[in-house]
Amino acid sequence: MTEKTHVAEFNEELLSGYLDGALVQQDEQRVRVHLEGSAEARELLRQLVEIREAAIETKFPENRDYQWSEAPRGAASSISRRLGFLLFGAWTVALIGYSLWQMARSDEPLFAKLLVAGVVSGAALLLLSAVIDRLKVAKDDPYRGVEK
Amino acid sequence: MTTELSAREPLAAGPVAVERLTTEPTLQEAPSLLRDLVPLARAGDDAAREELANRSGRAAYGLALQLLRNRAEAQDVAQDALLKFFSTLDRFDESRPVLPWIFRIVRNRAIDVLRRGNVRRGPSLDTGAPDGSAIDPVDPATGPHEHSVRLDLQKRIWQCLQAVTPQHREILILRDYQDLSYREISEVLGTPLGTVMSRLHSARKKLREQLLEGGWVFGGDHD
Repeated sequence: MTEKTHVAEFNEELLSGYLDGALVQQDEQRVRVHLEGSAEARELLRQLVEIREAAIETKFPENRDYQWSEAPRGAASSISRRLGFLLFGAWTVALIGYSLWQMARSDEPLFAKLLVAGVVSGAALLLLSAVIDRLKVAKDDPYRGVEK
Repeated sequence: MTTELSAREPLAAGPVAVERLTTEPTLQEAPSLLRDLVPLARAGDDAAREELANRSGRAAYGLALQLLRNRAEAQDVAQDALLKFFSTLDRFDESRPVLPWIFRIVRNRAIDVLRRGNVRRGPSLDTGAPDGSAIDPVDPATGPHEHSVRLDLQKRIWQCLQAVTPQHREILILRDYQDLSYREISEVLGTPLGTVMSRLHSARKKLREQLLEGGWVFGGDHD
């Protein structure tokens, strides 16, 4: 078999697999045979090795001042935080509902009742828009596919 | 083609032994330890959570910095990745390695940042080290001349990485800077295992071309 034919049949990608030690014995043997007959392949492999050796030895300066701005929470703190939010939300809604009901039943003038109703309605709309935005973000979350 | 790709190939299994010169154990050298921390962290062991956060956080930051080349953005991305990781820890499959999973989050987040084009201009890696150079290879086995040539090549490779496509850049970083196995790379990129070797080889050849065009002489006299 001539060197030209030899080169034509050889899958050059195997050189990277050979360099990385990622080939089965049969492919490794094919690469060895090819390298023996091809000076060009030997030179390419030598250059790729030189690049890999240099790259893997590269050291980057560490950022010693780096700190996590929020420490990961443990199970206990995580549960208590969720419970806290749940209680706070439920009681806030109950308190506002009760206040509105009392306000509606009171003898206060209509003008005062409308003022209070306007403030509460505005706050409710703002809260609703925030919830809608959060739901939209959660729907388009690019990391959903990551959580395998 | 009958290429078998193991989950953790030995680095020196090929014809040329490539030895790491760092003396500190790396995450890649102790993957089981990182994975062992997950059930402890799930059970509420704060020390395990902190250790897991520190180790995986450093790795996430390192990859983010290499992908984005901006410290502030890399910190944000690493922070996001870590929080994402811990918020979904309960669903994590303990039979899988931790790092590829975190790296995949980092990679996706970095792509988002780059797509939005909002990578802030900050101190580049080339001015980050005390001596003004970004990369400082430690090579006690070689003399000053060899050290200088190696450092020159490392800087050129780092520069040339900017000239290749993002797809090639990320696979080179994952393999030749982060030292992930082919299987781990396929998990991070979400590509078939068989694609990794072909894309990696193509990327390496492009990088080599860039180096040659830049005047680098492989194995030559660099006096």
